[in-house]
Amino acid sequence: MLRFTPSAVTRREFLVRSAATAAGTFMSIGLPALGNMSAKADAMSGFTPSIWFTLTPDGKVTMHIVKAEMGQHVGTGLAQIIAEELEVKWDDVRLDSPLESVENFAIYGLAYTVNSGSVTTEFDRLSRAGAAGRIALIEAGAKILGAKEADCSAANSRVIDGVSGRSIGYGDIIQQVKIDRKFAYPDDFKSIKLKAPGSYTIIGKSIPALDIPSKTDGQAKYGIDVFLPDMVYGALVIPRTRYGSKVLKVDDSEARKIPGFVKAVKVDDSMGKCTGWVVALAAKFPAAIKAAQALKVEVDPGPYAGLSLDDLFSEFSQTTKNPAAGANWVLEGDVDKALAGAEKTLEMEYTTDMVCHATMEPLNATVQFVDGAWHVYSGTQSTSFARMTLTAYLSKVLGQKPEDIKIYVHEYLLGGGFGGKQDYDEILAAAYCAKEVGRPVKLIQTRESTFATSFPRTPSYHKLKAGLKNGELVAMDHDICCGWMGPRFSVGKKYGSDWLQLDSWDAKKEDIDQWSIGGSDHWYDVENHRVRAFDSDRTTWAVQASALRTVSNSYNMFVVESFMDEVAHALNRDPLEFRLALLNGKGSSRGIPNAGYDPGTPSDYYMDRLWISLPWPNDNTWPHYESTTVGGALRLANCLRVAAGKAGWGAKKLPPNTGMGIAVSSAEERQSPTWVAGIAEVTVDPKTGRYRINRLTIAMDPGTVINPLNAKAQIQGSALWGASQVMAERLTLKDGALEQSNFHDYTPIRLADVPPIDVELIDSGHHPSGVGEPASTVVAPAIANAIYNAVGVRVRHMPITAEAVLAGLKNKA
Amino acid sequence: MPNLTINGQSYFADAPPDTPLLWVIREDLRLTGTKYGCGVGLCGSCTVHIDGKAVRSCSITVGAVEGSMITTIEGLNPANAHPVQQAWIEQQVPQCGYCQSGQIMQAVALLSKNPNPTEQQVVDGMTGNLCRCATYSRIVVAVKRAAEIMHQAAGIVNEGASHA
Repeated sequence: MLRFTPSAVTRREFLVRSAATAAGTFMSIGLPALGNMSAKADAMSGFTPSIWFTLTPDGKVTMHIVKAEMGQHVGTGLAQIIAEELEVKWDDVRLDSPLESVENFAIYGLAYTVNSGSVTTEFDRLSRAGAAGRIALIEAGAKILGAKEADCSAANSRVIDGVSGRSIGYGDIIQQVKIDRKFAYPDDFKSIKLKAPGSYTIIGKSIPALDIPSKTDGQAKYGIDVFLPDMVYGALVIPRTRYGSKVLKVDDSEARKIPGFVKAVKVDDSMGKCTGWVVALAAKFPAAIKAAQALKVEVDPGPYAGLSLDDLFSEFSQTTKNPAAGANWVLEGDVDKALAGAEKTLEMEYTTDMVCHATMEPLNATVQFVDGAWHVYSGTQSTSFARMTLTAYLSKVLGQKPEDIKIYVHEYLLGGGFGGKQDYDEILAAAYCAKEVGRPVKLIQTRESTFATSFPRTPSYHKLKAGLKNGELVAMDHDICCGWMGPRFSVGKKYGSDWLQLDSWDAKKEDIDQWSIGGSDHWYDVENHRVRAFDSDRTTWAVQASALRTVSNSYNMFVVESFMDEVAHALNRDPLEFRLALLNGKGSSRGIPNAGYDPGTPSDYYMDRLWISLPWPNDNTWPHYESTTVGGALRLANCLRVAAGKAGWGAKKLPPNTGMGIAVSSAEERQSPTWVAGIAEVTVDPKTGRYRINRLTIAMDPGTVINPLNAKAQIQGSALWGASQVMAERLTLKDGALEQSNFHDYTPIRLADVPPIDVELIDSGHHPSGVGEPASTVVAPAIANAIYNAVGVRVRHMPITAEAVLAGLKNKA
Repeated sequence: MPNLTINGQSYFADAPPDTPLLWVIREDLRLTGTKYGCGVGLCGSCTVHIDGKAVRSCSITVGAVEGSMITTIEGLNPANAHPVQQAWIEQQVPQCGYCQSGQIMQAVALLSKNPNPTEQQVVDGMTGNLCRCATYSRIVVAVKRAAEIMHQAAGIVNEGASHA
């Protein structure tokens, strides 16, 4: 069961209001602010703060974007949704990024950008907000024009009387008439009629992204570009281990000789963050780097100092030997019985290595304490969690009550995110250093320390069994052991929290970290299907396992889709035909979220309750938007047909040692799928085992497409992310430390290895789902399957190295 | 302590001569379009022009560039309208954008040396610049498109000249 405790406060109406301020009249739309804030704000300005957009007398509409911009052009996409219903001229659209604070949190809700969820969760309410604004403006405009409301319509930021042909601009309307319009919940909400797919004029258009011009002339500002008066720079001494070391002594005698050196700060790590961190502060960053290198730090290396990657993999395979240690994530039919009755069984082990985000912008944060308040300047995936985490940290460090700590988080652009900017260690450390030195601190992690303190995707181990009978797959059994990321965020029953955890399928109701196991609950109709989840707590902490683009789908899809191919070959069936037969819209491939949900849970419950940016009333009366699970595996099968047709599966003449491989994926989660299929064409050099991707073909059905050009860019980029993971990236742990340090030993894909990528977007008119991540999950298994079809070698480990392919070729010979 | 000429402007670099040029450009002179990515010349985010050539500013010292003409992304074109910038916007190349100043500076240097590169020459010339969002496919298209824009512009000038 998924539990979520809603806020005690509900918001029961939209407010559309205009108000006069010193700066002029403006109109905004939003929801009443939460709790006391509403009364306070009303008393202060006579105006309830808005959340979504503000219309000013010049006719410009500023969309307030709480989502982080990290390359997905999210502001443009969300603004397109509002503008569509508001009938605002696109040239009049502006974006801004609200300041995060306790007060603004009550107005804007949770600022958290993850899970490819922004468009999915915001589409419905932003559409309604835009429409509510339009309705209010038409009513007011009709009055001014002396026309009947029913005769008036809106277009291009104007209200037009269809009878007289007269019109008035939005900006003029709010200057002439005071608007105070309420849309009561739930009836007025529901009665807002939204446009139907097919009648859009802004949605579905490849409008150039508003943030792009600033990214071609050096004007775009990222967290690393912040300057504050009197600030000092901080550079981190690379900690002895990834996690758990303790600083005993810092000797700064050599560092003191470096001109500009200010101070060495042993960062308070009593909250279990920034363990073993020492920061060198200096007037300039090059001096800080030199000082960090010159500091002699004596440490107790802690509980993980002897641990290496091989130890973790042995622990995983040992752990899965005791089935009772696992929790049932999927439990359909009777797997043991079906396996016993099978004509043939197939048993395989798979493993996947760690990878990390390696964002082009190294981790950094700038923090100042001024006039009793902490100001944080950074590009983060959650300004809200950054504030909350820093509040908890400072409360502990300063011995103050959380409510007495005032924090503002100023959001900047992110030079890449990929899940890697939702930990806040730099922010905590910069704040601690600012306290110690009494000046603002800009802490920049060097590339080397960014790697050393990264939050990798967990290594994982898989044991799979398939039961085959009468030419069919009758049973599938999948054990997964890896580090679960939930515990790091105090998620799970043993931490007194049930947030973001799912319970096991059976009566035991054990915790399962869906962010580590998800993806194994695939959409194939397999009558007897079991997935058992095993937790390696030691891994979680030793490597600081975390979310990386598509989270667990990025390894579970590799395993499931490779294994499905093995099953097809074992049955002598074509991998395409075999998959299509199981993606039939029946059984567990019908359009429902499954694992662990109470019957009757609204299908959009997951996305709306967890990634919501506002606490909607939780009384089940809100008009739920269509779940992205609608259609189920039939939509997935359609993607597969499109990709196969486009790539020429079974039809194209291929050179020697060349094969095509197919895969499907429903990332990011079972509850919020984006349907995608991928085909890789790969040529293997039989002498070296090296392989080259000749072409990738991706077909995706993300429902309604907001911006096709941008969607294609996201899909191409994420497809190459998947290729990079399987071909080139590997992070290792040795003696408790992450071994890789820069782009010579951690080698993301470069232009020379980039194949042509065909992208087919299927705009199916359903509720939109995310496009930024899912394609990455089909590429790795498609490549693995293509290598098998090219030279008959099955590599059951990710990444797939040339050495592994060569070893396979030798074994075969 | 060296004097530097950056984007046609003279600066005094208040830094020891062994300081990487990158940090003086970014943190002292606050021309932040030039980005720090790796510090060791592996990613290309910090690419600037020194006497017209693409150079990794993290891997050259301020002492070594005294007297050189240095151009950063900010100095490329005051209107964001260099043919490469035009092509970059037209093709919607950037995603997060962090590496793009370096990509653009690399592309400009490539085209000034070879105004008519083949696709393979574009790949060879640009493969040293890492992009974690993997905007690579559009980079190749945009470099070729920039070459086209440059030829068109040159064509107009030449035509004008022949009529004179």
